[in-house]
Amino acid sequence: MRFSFSLLKKLAPGKYTKENLVEKLNLRAFETVDLGGDVLDITVLPNRFSDAASHWGLAQEIAALYGIQRVNPIGLSTPDRKEVGMFSVRVKDPKLCRRYLSTYVADIKIGPSPDWLKELLEACGIRSINNVVDVMNYVMLEIGQPMHAFDADKIEDGLIIRKAKAGEKIETLDDIPVTLNAEMLVVADIKKPLAIAGIKGGKSSGVSLKTMRLLVTSANYDGTTIYNGARTINLKTDASVRFAHDLSPELAMVGMQRALQLLKEITHGTIYGTVEVYPKKASKKLLAANAKTISRLVGKQFSDAEIQNILESLGFVREKKLWRVPPFRTDINASEDIAEEVIRVSGYDALPAVRPAVALGVATEDELIVLKDKLRGFFKGAGVSEVYNYSFVAQDECGISPSGIFGLTAPVAIANPISNQFSHLRDNLAPGLMKNLRDNGRFYDEVRMFEIGKIFGKDSAGAIQEKTVLGVVIAAKNATLEMKGIVDALFGQLGLTDYIMPDLNLESKILNAKEALRIESDEHEVLGYMGSLHGIRHSAIAEIDIERLLKIVEEEREFKPLSKYPSVTRDLSVLVSRSVRVGEILALLQNVSPKLIQDVDLIDFFEDEKLGEDRKSITFRIVFQSEEKTLTDGEVDKEMAILTKVVEDRFDAEIR
Amino acid sequence: MNHLDSIRSEAMQAIHNAADVRVLEVLRIKYLGRKGILNQAFEQLKDLSLEEKRTSGPVIQALKRELETLLDQKLQSFAAVAGTQLSLDISMPGKKVAIGHLHPLTILEKQIREIFKAMHFSVVEGPEVETEYYNFDALNIPKNHPARDMWDTFWLNQSEVKSENLKVKNDRLLLRTHTSPVQIRYMQAHQPPFQIIVPGRVFRFEATDSSHETNFHQIEGLMVGKEVSLANFKFVFQEFFKRLFNREIKIRLRPSYFPFVEPGLELDLECVSCGGKGCRICKETGWLEIMGAGMVHPHVFEAAGYNPREWQGFAFGFGLERIAMIKYNIPDIRLFHSGDLRFIKQF
Repeated sequence: MRFSFSLLKKLAPGKYTKENLVEKLNLRAFETVDLGGDVLDITVLPNRFSDAASHWGLAQEIAALYGIQRVNPIGLSTPDRKEVGMFSVRVKDPKLCRRYLSTYVADIKIGPSPDWLKELLEACGIRSINNVVDVMNYVMLEIGQPMHAFDADKIEDGLIIRKAKAGEKIETLDDIPVTLNAEMLVVADIKKPLAIAGIKGGKSSGVSLKTMRLLVTSANYDGTTIYNGARTINLKTDASVRFAHDLSPELAMVGMQRALQLLKEITHGTIYGTVEVYPKKASKKLLAANAKTISRLVGKQFSDAEIQNILESLGFVREKKLWRVPPFRTDINASEDIAEEVIRVSGYDALPAVRPAVALGVATEDELIVLKDKLRGFFKGAGVSEVYNYSFVAQDECGISPSGIFGLTAPVAIANPISNQFSHLRDNLAPGLMKNLRDNGRFYDEVRMFEIGKIFGKDSAGAIQEKTVLGVVIAAKNATLEMKGIVDALFGQLGLTDYIMPDLNLESKILNAKEALRIESDEHEVLGYMGSLHGIRHSAIAEIDIERLLKIVEEEREFKPLSKYPSVTRDLSVLVSRSVRVGEILALLQNVSPKLIQDVDLIDFFEDEKLGEDRKSITFRIVFQSEEKTLTDGEVDKEMAILTKVVEDRFDAEIR
Repeated sequence: MNHLDSIRSEAMQAIHNAADVRVLEVLRIKYLGRKGILNQAFEQLKDLSLEEKRTSGPVIQALKRELETLLDQKLQSFAAVAGTQLSLDISMPGKKVAIGHLHPLTILEKQIREIFKAMHFSVVEGPEVETEYYNFDALNIPKNHPARDMWDTFWLNQSEVKSENLKVKNDRLLLRTHTSPVQIRYMQAHQPPFQIIVPGRVFRFEATDSSHETNFHQIEGLMVGKEVSLANFKFVFQEFFKRLFNREIKIRLRPSYFPFVEPGLELDLECVSCGGKGCRICKETGWLEIMGAGMVHPHVFEAAGYNPREWQGFAFGFGLERIAMIKYNIPDIRLFHSGDLRFIKQF
């Protein structure tokens, strides 16, 4: 909000410079920027519009900060005529229009404003129109009370402040036709709406160069009504913004007095008596300011005298043991609010930094946070880098992972998306990761990335669920088997041994159906999936629900004694039909003599025409080791003979 | 069998007698090469009976390994004698080791968590889909009031909630605009005194540019006790920034307004780029706006079921991206969600 430095200084006269004021306001009141010349941009906080969104209000702040006196701009004024003119005021809903003041002003001379007035308005970003309208705007800037002047000759009988009828129409001062709804307020006469209350005046009753008689009004409205109304018709005005912040009804009279004084000076009008509707007067607020309570909250000792000085400088008045809050300070309602006044006016720079006294306790982290840290550590070590993607995706990017793998049945739409590309919440991590693969493929031959993030979707009951998921993508030669190796290594690191990876057997747009696996716990709870990506060469993806993973991770590890006896390694090469899957032979080998076979690895694999049609060669390396004794060649030979026989029989294999 | 035995003794003799490296290489090819004697022996297995295959195969394997070892040993002995002749050219570049890179926000978040944990703060998380109640109402942010306009919100179409995560029925759903709702959730489930921080992703409905994003991350904090004061807050953050930037760094507090705290304030950090002299980064002010904070508003304690006359405490929240941009000198907030490894691999 723009302010004039010279007007501030006029209302709070002192020896301070503009630079010093800017600094002081920044540190003790509001963010302030010097826009050059006479103009300051001061960000009045949303709870301070009632008292501080004006030069007069800020002058109170400045007076408190410099220990000076604020000047009251309003001299005593008595109306020229005691009678109120012929205009009545009726307020239909006093909850929504809490106070309404209206004054008839006759014999005005409309014309351009004096230069000082024009300049002030311009400094504050308002265009000069004519002396009447300019006075109204000036009062808003100086006092903080929005004002409105009607052309009295365009009004029949009097003013009625009522709710608009649904569909009621009005043309605003700046020629915009507006249709109102029944929640909005209008100022009307018996025939027609004259103004959208608190938001904008109407054209038909507006002040023009021909205007001779005025009805000057000053009102106080329910903030919510004005806020909602301005949003409904998408018309934000200086007045509506102020009213939306809920001003003090006390401000209405100050504004009216100041407006009449200026109209007298500038337009030489004849001022009549003011009509007022103010059924429920704002009650005065009395609060305690206990030095002990305030000091305890702030963490700095304040004496009663210090507190008294500060409150008095802000216009608080002592009443016995309590303090009367200035009527415009709608933000002050409790002891904490007073504590803020005390510390900010005395300055945060004087606040000491005090070591908190904390009972010794163990600082903990959510289990899921710990697991995420572990996963990140693992991937970093495995040469996989981390990316973050947006939680938003396009509709057609939902449901591309194997359907239902995470128990989500429908995607979640955003009611007010930023664009069609970001219309839904992601229900899998694949869209972002696949895009990352393509983008990075331009710069790297091999890409390995992971992401840990939330996915969202509706469950079968229609409730929105969010899950924390790990996604991994690899683009490299042999990506799919590398991915499988990564999953194995990861689970090994987490101490998980009992998991299985059967064929996926689920629909997915992004996977090659024959190269996809499901990742399950030994109790067949689905943890995720992995597989080769369809349409991106040499690439693979995996996604794992890490909240489910957390439930089955075995934290405790037990050390297994190292065998004292040497191991014996033998290789087994077999020729089998291409339809035989390595996994089946491997599983068999591992289960024949689990006590003696410590490890079985695939070390060679090839398919070649020379081997014969439909044949492939597979070589396993088998490590034998006993925990009880040194195995003799003879014993190992015997085991090998059994393995060979079993493989031959089961897979119609030819031993090489 | 005899055949293999003779190969073995012949080879061992030859290796033993080898005069130089070249001879060794010839021997390696002769015995272990692709078409070497041992591979030929494997080939010949094909013509043998199954029984013979089973016995001979492993013997050939073993012999192969034995000869490999012998050759290596002999080679080493030459090297030892010849001194530098066979040593590595150590000026060659090191072999590249594949190491993954964590996202800068992960690295920073972890560092921040460590600092707070050292000050006895626990770390908790909360849901990203929130109810209007937790995101606004319980935090004393009034409906239909301009104060709520400080948070531009993404709304979801669904209003009815049955999810276990959310536990409130028939409230409008939204994407949390800050991590502050976790304050309420945590207080409802725990008794003070305590101190926590809450890292997490938040959402704002706004146009993106180099300093604004629709998805970003915050760290929320809350410390509640009988005597927890604003002066304690000042201490915690002097300490925090000293550790985060590894040096003494000035902070200053300014009055501000957030409906869920009173007094409310903003914390500025001395510009790390110019040291407070004024530069482009701090817009010539010498200070960087870092976070909002204040003493928990009594209404917030009431919403959480605490007696505000019994407890007091401070709350704060700051943007992780903002700190990362300052700390790592990153010019554009959109890089964080770009998935660009050229960016990630710098960390």
